[in-house]
Amino acid sequence: MADRYSFSLTTFSPSGKLVQIEYALNAVNQGVTALGIKATNGIVLATEKKSSSPLADPSSLSKISLITPNIGMVYSGMGPDYRVLVDRARKVSHTGYKRIYNEYPPTRILVQDVARVMQEATQSGGVRPYGVSLLVAGWDEGVLPEEEVLKQEKAAQEGAGGESGEGEQKKLGGKTGGILKGGPMLYQVDPSGSYFPWKATAIGKSATTAKTFLEKRYTEGLELEDAVHIALLTLKETIEGEMNGETIEIGIVGPPAHHLLGVEGVEGAVGPRFRKLSPQEIEDYLTNL
Amino acid sequence: MDTLVARYSRPTYQQNEAFSEQEQQDLADAVPSFSLKFAMPPVAHPSAWLRAATDDRSNPSCPIKIAHGTTTLAFRFQHGIIVATDSRATAGNWIASQTVKKVIEINSDLLGTMAGGAADCQYWLAWLGMQCRLHELRHKRRISVAAASKILANLVYQYKGMGLSMGTMCAGVTKEEGPALYYIDSDGTRLAGNLFCVGSGQTFAYGVLDAEYRYDLTTEEALELGSRSILAATHRDAYSGGFINLYHVKESGWEKHGFTDTNPVFWKTKLEKGEFSNVTSDLAE
Amino acid sequence: MVGKDCVAIACDLRLGLQALTVSNNFPKIFQYGDHVFLGLTGLATDVSTVSDLFRYKVNMYRLREERHIAPRTFANLVSSSLYERRFGPYFVSPVVAGLEPKTGKPFICGFDSIGCIDFAKDFIVSGTATEQLFGMCESLWEPDLGPDALFETISQALLNAVDRDALSGWGAHVYIIEKNKVTKRLLKGRQD
Repeated sequence: MADRYSFSLTTFSPSGKLVQIEYALNAVNQGVTALGIKATNGIVLATEKKSSSPLADPSSLSKISLITPNIGMVYSGMGPDYRVLVDRARKVSHTGYKRIYNEYPPTRILVQDVARVMQEATQSGGVRPYGVSLLVAGWDEGVLPEEEVLKQEKAAQEGAGGESGEGEQKKLGGKTGGILKGGPMLYQVDPSGSYFPWKATAIGKSATTAKTFLEKRYTEGLELEDAVHIALLTLKETIEGEMNGETIEIGIVGPPAHHLLGVEGVEGAVGPRFRKLSPQEIEDYLTNL
Repeated sequence: MDTLVARYSRPTYQQNEAFSEQEQQDLADAVPSFSLKFAMPPVAHPSAWLRAATDDRSNPSCPIKIAHGTTTLAFRFQHGIIVATDSRATAGNWIASQTVKKVIEINSDLLGTMAGGAADCQYWLAWLGMQCRLHELRHKRRISVAAASKILANLVYQYKGMGLSMGTMCAGVTKEEGPALYYIDSDGTRLAGNLFCVGSGQTFAYGVLDAEYRYDLTTEEALELGSRSILAATHRDAYSGGFINLYHVKESGWEKHGFTDTNPVFWKTKLEKGEFSNVTSDLAE
Repeated sequence: MVGKDCVAIACDLRLGLQALTVSNNFPKIFQYGDHVFLGLTGLATDVSTVSDLFRYKVNMYRLREERHIAPRTFANLVSSSLYERRFGPYFVSPVVAGLEPKTGKPFICGFDSIGCIDFAKDFIVSGTATEQLFGMCESLWEPDLGPDALFETISQALLNAVDRDALSGWGAHVYIIEKNKVTKRLLKGRQD
């Protein structure tokens, strides 16, 4: 009986807009800025950890989350909605993938699954859209043999060289991400359920400022260390409070972190590529800024 | 009158024969009181026990697997009888042998075929050979096929229900009977007839045989028909295969016409005569 | 069967109802990618159903992920799909053979009817002639066989095994899977 009256709250306005989704985007645009930068050998996700009161314990607050060993996520918008999505993403990465193929989903597949969850909230009865945008960063193993990747990139470079001035050609030998070649991938997912791959982007209150800054600082062939550096600089432009290891949160996708495995001596075991930097590590980066 | 008396009195040569009582007893014992000769399982109902332990048709996981599965055929025609068999012995799905001789030469004039339990057939047809020889010695003439087959039928009837498994044909040509063919099985059935196929592949053999059979076949045609019927059965029946064992029984005794591998015969039949078009010989994409 | 930088997979062609041979042209090997093959033995209706089911699942995978499925991934898909029917299984025992796309290394494995994977580095057998095949493979197989030697080995193993099984035979298909080419051959076996 209940579902008879549970009409969708997101209905088209006469002009063809879904205003509920626009309201959700407004919620995102009031959120704390978060950004992500893709490097050749990894990705950095960064955001400000803003606590409402000096009495709050900042170490208990966490805005960047691990989804699978190689994929992490950050948000801008409503914290509670985000935690629901993190739960759903972790769950769907297992039920929809790991339990079927005995391997973790590639970044795009996970992004699609999360995007579906968010889209369903724009079309279902009795629910409202999620009030968050996400940045999803992950590393794909890829299926092509190494020499094939090199060959394809060489061909791509020669092709791009023909129509010079593009400035889009890939750096030889660097993995550029994706299911086939493998490497880092950075996606943004919006409340509507649409998603975009980025080299670098920002979401939230100062997204425009941050993106303008990133456009200036971003170069092709960036290393992960440089990316962390740029991330902190960008954050510095937009941050409202103080900047230290307690108020900044950074997650990186980098080389396998074997020290996080917990056990040693298991043959073939590979550590997670996604990990969050400790406040101390962030402090170290900040002092070198 | 004299002729009548002569017909029913003993021939003169037998009058001189002196059998001691002991000898007569031995002869009578040739059909022994069987329950004393074979060790029986020490259970209350040996026959039921044996059936349960050995009948893999009703119980595929029965503990004792007896070799089964066969195609045998025999048919009468104007110049005698053709007897043909395959040569496969299976125990379950395991092919125990591809070179079994399923035609048993009871003596130089009589043939028996073997279907069902290999041991049962081998033992009792050899025993039948002995009985036929004794008959010959006693009566100074060859036993009729009718009599021989009846000895076997009576024997198996005694063991009815105890798990004997045989489906056999007795073929022979005598002056009195002409070409004579009998079917005997372990149920005790004994039938005279023109044409029989016995075994798991019998239906396939009947299919070919019935279509082409005539009494006035020439010897060549008859041999070819027997061979072709067995070939059809080995092709479709999983439990038949190996070699084609072919015999021609005439009044002068039986004559063997080879023990031929089915494989070359099959491909020759397919490629030269265009039969067995169901079998692919090319990789069709 | 594993060779040096190549794998082989072979099947007989019989479709039977107990003793009755219904068809002599019923291949049991299915291809799901350039280098991914599945062999299915067991109940014929399930062989068809399961092969079609995986055709569907692999096509969906390819559309979703815009890449071909790797043999190891496919093997895990087979395993999880079979276990979904834990209490009403498909009556099949599958075999997967292929080459790993990233390394080009051979990959083979077998399953029971509810999806337990048996990884092997030499050979996998399945079907009614399992015992005979084990005997043949144990004696004929050796490491690092080239494609031609591997073809000879797998063919002899299969043909001689099915010649001792009443329910198998009637010809065979053999696939030799190499990095740049897949060769399919028909073996004319005994037809009894």
